[in-house]
Amino acid sequence: MDIRFVFARAKRGFRDDLSLHVVAIASLVVAFLCLGTALLGVENLTRIADRWSHSQHLTLYLRDDARETEVAQLRLVLESLGEVRKVEHITSEAARKLFAEQTHMGNSMSDLPTEAFPASLEIELRPEAASDRVNKLTERLRRFSAVEDVENYRSFLGQFRGLLDTGRSAALLLSLLVMVCVVAVIGNTIRLAVASRRREIEVLKLCGATDSFVRSPFVLEGVIQAVSAASIAVVILLAGYLFAHQHIETTLSALTGVGMTFLSPWTIAVTLVAAGVVGALGSAWSLRRYLQV
Amino acid sequence: MANSVSDSDPPNPRRQVSFFRSKHAGDGTSVRKPILVMEEVYKYFRRDVPTLRNINLVIERGEFVFVTGPSGSGKSTLLQLIYRQHPVDSGRILFSGRDISRLTDRSIPFLRRNLGIVFQDFKVVPHWTVFENTAVSLEILGTNARLVRSRVAATLERVGLAGRGNERTENLSGGEQQRVAIARAIVTEPALLLADEPTGNLDPQLAIDILTLFEEIHAAGTTVVFATHDHSLLQSAPHRLVVLDEGRVIEATHGLRAWAARSEPRTASNG
Repeated sequence: MDIRFVFARAKRGFRDDLSLHVVAIASLVVAFLCLGTALLGVENLTRIADRWSHSQHLTLYLRDDARETEVAQLRLVLESLGEVRKVEHITSEAARKLFAEQTHMGNSMSDLPTEAFPASLEIELRPEAASDRVNKLTERLRRFSAVEDVENYRSFLGQFRGLLDTGRSAALLLSLLVMVCVVAVIGNTIRLAVASRRREIEVLKLCGATDSFVRSPFVLEGVIQAVSAASIAVVILLAGYLFAHQHIETTLSALTGVGMTFLSPWTIAVTLVAAGVVGALGSAWSLRRYLQV
Repeated sequence: MANSVSDSDPPNPRRQVSFFRSKHAGDGTSVRKPILVMEEVYKYFRRDVPTLRNINLVIERGEFVFVTGPSGSGKSTLLQLIYRQHPVDSGRILFSGRDISRLTDRSIPFLRRNLGIVFQDFKVVPHWTVFENTAVSLEILGTNARLVRSRVAATLERVGLAGRGNERTENLSGGEQQRVAIARAIVTEPALLLADEPTGNLDPQLAIDILTLFEEIHAAGTTVVFATHDHSLLQSAPHRLVVLDEGRVIEATHGLRAWAARSEPRTASNG
């Protein structure tokens, strides 16, 4: 079978049923947009989780009444530890100023009380510091009288990972729903196309066309529909991402420590290929019963 | 396995194309055999009343055969058995010496590539152009685009539609649409051309024109089986006549006059 004829006949099919195919592609774009948004969310949350799990960082919140000598002594103790690479003292005023800079909140923060931004020691650990050593260090630091609390971000990370797993499951479920949607939309579109091109199929079969010859342009039409819809959805999603990136990137990276990223080329490629395969399966499945002439 | 037409194919209208898989390939003697043999063929659509009964018929290569008879006599069914729209219920049909009555569904397309079929209702795709409707038979064979263009152009000229390839078929008259259907049927130079009441939807003058076109195709070497109940056509062309009545072949003779001579007294006595 000459592939050029398959393309020529698929093109003829699009020409003959243009409005039908446009409506189908528009429906599929919505489905792929939902899937793309979910994938984008999951990918970014995964990056945040990875970043946080690899960050060797402790925040040691100081009591409001902690004396400077106590803080200085605490710094000396910390800097003498082998796991610690760097210690930085952030005063209450510095914390407020830093947050205002990172979030561009400016004057709107003036109503917040002083205790909303406690003074802290930000401790950067060496990357090789073992997790159990960090936990033990956290416990020891809590016993110092100048220390209000120690945050090693482990419990928060555990909760965040739980949330992320739920998000992944939801994205997987959404992927399955989208695939079912793609099969249904393409299947119904191809069925309508077959009905409107009944005479064409009859002529082909009477001229000696095999089932695969008759079927191939319809399958190709299904593939083109799905891949076009997925590509359009990716472009729309990219436009949305660039818009959001401009407006919330700074705040988001200040809050999470990680910048926003778009879907990886690998994810886009897999989505397009999966769309093509599902499109082909959807149209082939819908054609099974409609080739008898 | 069907041959495909290629640049190197000689322009031989009697070219044979194998429609069996390679293990059933012929022995090379098929050219000497009658093109079509029907032996004790029966076809039932209702269990108690056969539509065709005990059909025995031999059609030689290069013949022009009229199949006639009243409506419901089985003319269309006879042709449908040849292009395997339906299987026979008993008996066998040999096409170029090969039994087509037991073909598997997968082999039927390869049989049809050896046949040209023309129908009363034209069966052209109305929104396709004349070129697209004609070229489809060659596209199925996988013929390359350049050869498709040249063969379609030559065939359209042959059927009187030269230079009209780009017109949409639905804009043509009935007679022109039937010419498109004939072009599609002969563009592959089939071994056998089947015509099922091809003039049934046309006025008498157009019917004569179409018959003349079939005779020209026949004169170029193609075997033609032409089903019609139009007596004026039968009278205008002196070809072999196969007469069907209630599913039986009641005459297989040359010329209408002999049949008419035999049937008239019976018709008179019936009347």
